[in-house]
Amino acid sequence: MTTLDVRRDAATEKFFDGTARGELLIRHCTACGAHAAPQFDACPACKEPTAAWIPAVGTGTVISWTVVHGRPRDDAPAPQQVVALIELTEGPWLYAALNGLRAGERPWPGMSVTVAFEHPEGGEAIPIFLPTA
Amino acid sequence: MTDMGKIYGRSSADFAADAVRRAADDAGLALSDLDGLLTSSGVVGGVGLDLQKDLGLKDLRLLSEVQAYGSTAGAMVQYAAMAVRSGMAEAVACVFADAPLKEKSSSGAAYARSVGASGWRGLMGAAGIMGANPLYALAARRHMDTYGTTSEQLAHIAVAQRAWAATNPRAQLRDPITVEDHQASRMIAEPFHLLDCCLVTNGGIAVIVTTAERAAHLRRPPVHVLGWAQSHPGYPMHQGSDFGLVSGAAQAGPAALKMAGVSLGDVDVAELYDCYTFTVLLTLEDYGFCAKGEAGAFAASGALAPGGSLPVNTGGGQLSSYYMWGMTPLSEAVLQARGEAGERQVPRHDVVLVSGNGGILDHHSTLVLSPHPHA
Repeated sequence: MTTLDVRRDAATEKFFDGTARGELLIRHCTACGAHAAPQFDACPACKEPTAAWIPAVGTGTVISWTVVHGRPRDDAPAPQQVVALIELTEGPWLYAALNGLRAGERPWPGMSVTVAFEHPEGGEAIPIFLPTA
Repeated sequence: MTDMGKIYGRSSADFAADAVRRAADDAGLALSDLDGLLTSSGVVGGVGLDLQKDLGLKDLRLLSEVQAYGSTAGAMVQYAAMAVRSGMAEAVACVFADAPLKEKSSSGAAYARSVGASGWRGLMGAAGIMGANPLYALAARRHMDTYGTTSEQLAHIAVAQRAWAATNPRAQLRDPITVEDHQASRMIAEPFHLLDCCLVTNGGIAVIVTTAERAAHLRRPPVHVLGWAQSHPGYPMHQGSDFGLVSGAAQAGPAALKMAGVSLGDVDVAELYDCYTFTVLLTLEDYGFCAKGEAGAFAASGALAPGGSLPVNTGGGQLSSYYMWGMTPLSEAVLQARGEAGERQVPRHDVVLVSGNGGILDHHSTLVLSPHPHA
């Protein structure tokens, strides 16, 4: 249920180049080796501006989750979207839609998830997560 | 304080100017007595340095716009107090105003308008995160999973605050609610029901900070700023972050109490920033009113409600009275410290603790206020 077409800007150019080819890019510090979430230009561990882009393995676990409820319209049931705070195997955290759950099913902390990509026509490719098969 | 709530057709700048005029009048000061002005905006912006000219203030010795989100009101008082202590200025007005409500538009829409669709923010939007509700929900869920906190326990915070609001003539919502009402209210972002979430309000509030000597000769009983602190945790978005489990209150609370020369047990009333019920719960733990993980049970015991052992958000807070960011707890704290809170006045109000919280638990300010110059 991706409803928002996202445009790139200067800061997200490389990230969305990655999602377009099916890669989830994160930061990897060439000085200390630490990994960081993609929005960090400087390494949060050693503070050096040495954060390079590398593809994440694409697996992780759920740290926390919510289900966002839309407003019910007419007779249609209210739309719902599961959103998760995910810890990637490399350590960084990301917010992402968590799809692939059965109706009424809820995630749990520690649940294993794997990245996939949605390619909406009007916007950039977006990483989403699915329960690990 | 201006009129609050669904008041349409006025800009945030207009509310801000009105609030400063009213605060000066309340204090018995002329606008020309002000030599400092700190401004802050809410979600629609528009309360900036131009406010000086809107008010016709001449030769200010301190003028700045302050932004630390929900911790701003407390921060403004801190900066004003430092300016007054240093002699840089003698009478500093601190103002917040916002006007997000539009006629024939939902409260949620008022805040969703602020979300962009490009860059990192756009990526958040695509994940389903529009505004703060899902982010605080993620924080609350983590606390629940870690400590066993329940939605019913959060409900007790909303119920207690509504009970306080019943006797606040300024409160937007005054009808009593029950835990069952909370549980039956529309789901917003699990675990949050509608009654876990703050209101949206148009209005403005200002306070004036001056020397104790000068305040003693003004129209209203003075409120002394005994202690203050801030904390900005800088959650790393990485393995090991305690997002949702500990906030800046854990550092700022003890620091502010130490500066004031009082202990937690001396606190008579606490006005805690409540964008959500959960924010109150986490702040109670971080300040140390109960052990980590026990604030849910503490709230469910009725401690926070009228007649409880720790009066919290005695005006109804942002859940029930009005949503003026950090000015909501601050304004109620001033009224309680002065003994001017009417029917809801707490009997003991020698030490009043005030929290501000901004971002997604990213920014915290604490104030310790008292009607007495020393603890």
